[in-house]
Amino acid sequence: MADKIEEKVALQTENSRNQGRRAFLKGSAAVAGGVVFSQVAQSSSGFDAKKAVAPYAGQPELTEVLQDGPARKTLGFGVRKYPYGMPSPFEKEVQRRTLEWLTPDSMASITMSPIHQLHGIITPNGLHFERFHGGVPTINPDDHRLVIHGLVERPLIFTMDDLKRFPSISRIHFVECPANGALEWKGVQLNSVQWTHGMMSCVEYTGVRLSDLLKEAGIKPEGKWIIPEGADASGLSRSLPVELAMDDCFVAYAQNGEALRREQGYPIRLVVPGCEANMWIKYLRRIMVHDVPMQEREETSKYTELMPDGTAQRFSWYMEANSVITYPSPDFKMQGPGKYYVRGLAWSGRGKVAHVDISTDGGRNWKEAHFTSPVLDKAWTRFEWEWEWDGSEAFLMSRVTDETGYVQPPMPQMRNLEGTNNVYHRTAMVTWRVHAWEDEKSGGLVENVQY
Amino acid sequence: MYNTKQTIVAVSIAALFTGSAFAMSNNSDKTVEVSEKIDGKYAANYVEIIKNADGKYLDKTVIEAILGVEATHGRAGLEGKLDPENPYSAEVDDSIDGGNHGNAQCKIPKAFVEVHESAAANYYNDDTFVARGFGTPISEAALEVWNITVDGDGKGLPDPSVGMTVEEGGELYVKFCSMCHGEFGEGAKGYLPLAVEEDLVTSSFTDPAPMKSVGNYWPYAVTLFDYIRRTMPFWTPNAPYIGDAGYLGMTGYILQSNYIPMDDEGTELSDDTFFNSEVLMKMNKYMPNQGNWFCDHRPVIHNVRCMNNCPDEQVGGNGTGDPTQYRQARTLPDGTLQYNVPQRLHEDKPGVGHAGM
Repeated sequence: MADKIEEKVALQTENSRNQGRRAFLKGSAAVAGGVVFSQVAQSSSGFDAKKAVAPYAGQPELTEVLQDGPARKTLGFGVRKYPYGMPSPFEKEVQRRTLEWLTPDSMASITMSPIHQLHGIITPNGLHFERFHGGVPTINPDDHRLVIHGLVERPLIFTMDDLKRFPSISRIHFVECPANGALEWKGVQLNSVQWTHGMMSCVEYTGVRLSDLLKEAGIKPEGKWIIPEGADASGLSRSLPVELAMDDCFVAYAQNGEALRREQGYPIRLVVPGCEANMWIKYLRRIMVHDVPMQEREETSKYTELMPDGTAQRFSWYMEANSVITYPSPDFKMQGPGKYYVRGLAWSGRGKVAHVDISTDGGRNWKEAHFTSPVLDKAWTRFEWEWEWDGSEAFLMSRVTDETGYVQPPMPQMRNLEGTNNVYHRTAMVTWRVHAWEDEKSGGLVENVQY
Repeated sequence: MYNTKQTIVAVSIAALFTGSAFAMSNNSDKTVEVSEKIDGKYAANYVEIIKNADGKYLDKTVIEAILGVEATHGRAGLEGKLDPENPYSAEVDDSIDGGNHGNAQCKIPKAFVEVHESAAANYYNDDTFVARGFGTPISEAALEVWNITVDGDGKGLPDPSVGMTVEEGGELYVKFCSMCHGEFGEGAKGYLPLAVEEDLVTSSFTDPAPMKSVGNYWPYAVTLFDYIRRTMPFWTPNAPYIGDAGYLGMTGYILQSNYIPMDDEGTELSDDTFFNSEVLMKMNKYMPNQGNWFCDHRPVIHNVRCMNNCPDEQVGGNGTGDPTQYRQARTLPDGTLQYNVPQRLHEDKPGVGHAGM
């Protein structure tokens, strides 16, 4: 069994590397094509330094002599000034934030990650979004236990050290609150990606396969549902069908190379790749194997979707493929007509991202972006697309297609089918209106609008 | 248009007898032919079709090859998925009305082939697994305090001898709950109301979302007991000074506030009813909204990845194709583009369309 797991881990790594390489080759082939074209057209040979800097021709030159600053003239601080390092004070505005009017208290509330200020596909642990139903407990791992019981041959209890003896896996996955985007159901409310898409993060988890633990306890054939539960004040529970539990779930004790943060479930949490973050039970202490689902409040009263005709959807698990342009986005202002590298994030709860397309005309015509990060299963994927902005009004949109063939829909289509009272899973495209450069007051502004 | 799940089921069963004509796709570039049909509707060799399309089980052409062109889109697609035999359905037989035990279920649809193959490899087909022995055996009896789970069937409820009158439960409720939820469950301080009479049918997409609470939304009554015993009062959950009897009493009071009946005659709780697990289980079958639930069948929108000159319905302007027709966030009185203006001007209830997180 151990061999099989290692083989699968190795396979995924190899796949990911190939995917990344393919994306890279595709990108560089396009660039190479361009170079070849201009070489033929202008019959030059090799790098031409004068031609390379032509765009700077005629610009005034700075002549004031640059002086040394204090960083150059004095010694910096020594080692272990900060035994646990912190970001530069100049980055102090990069924070997770909340909307004070959203919840009546801070113990059952949420913060959003500053995704417009993040780079690559990994969210630093201190910027991971937070969602609590009963505040954050500070649990001593020596006192914490995980129990597996119910429809099993041999109920078992594990210490945290016991769990770390098991074969481990490390995976990079996004984790997304299904209410991500909820503020936009009835129209535009907020002009920042942090508010529209920040109820998610993407980190590397390390832990033990849930299938290993369930088999360790001898899960019985009549055990069709898994009911995990947290050790915090909310005692949060959800019901997972056994197929989902046995697919790729794991019990994580580490996040981005260190122990989980308390805000994310220290000492252990469930990881349910691709599914609603609400199912990723934090402070995990008990897994009950059961024959029927529980119908807990978080899978009936909440985390269910009200349809326009008054019916409702329940047992919502997978997060649909989704994407957003993080630059330019409403937190930025255009700096005049010219070349921009449109960047953003795409992800899918059902596997890898296959394509991301960009439109500047509100969805009529699309161009394919390339990937600047590895393309991993159920993980953020970074895309980028070169845009020559002519300074006129533009409507920027991104659209993801995942490896299952699902194409991200526009908002009107989703609204007309599902209504606007869903709360959860608002995963349609968003639109950034780039104001024309000539507009007097608002020229170059990037505005969140909705179709 | 349909109003309850029962009518949807009736519609899809009616479609069963008329719908086979369009179950066959004339998609010529798919090499796999549909030979046999499940229920005369769905391609029996759906796994083969999906695998031949590189596992793209949500690709429009793949779905059409399996379900037929008419069945795959919008409302029609959603209704078709209420048939548990549909390879894309998340329903199980029990999910239609909860079967004889009342506890509705859902499943991972059969067409999500990857998930089932992975579960088979990790579990069902793993005949070599032997425990590593890293855990310590524990008895179920040792979990007496930790195991407070009550399922939709009522398994895990206290013995019927435990309980109190609805009136006594109301007194406890006023003492421990009303400061946040209102004396009659009307809500307070931004916390959830527990009893409202709001219609859940959408009249306009821009109207505020209806308030969902126990009587008009929750499918099960047992959930209420499990939840308040698990998490309430907020600052000291699962309180021993309330105990199972107290939590049952409060449950009774909240169900009474929501006018939940306990039989076909519509009998409601009276103040001197001794509320215990038996009364709770009677009411579990009479939750007014219970018949209006179905499994999550998303995605139900299946678009083609259009690259050039895309159709109007996929372009801006709410389907008009005019990208300059859009809705904006409201501006503050001084004209600055700002966000959450209705909340800041105290015109709207705060939140994401429902109170309470």
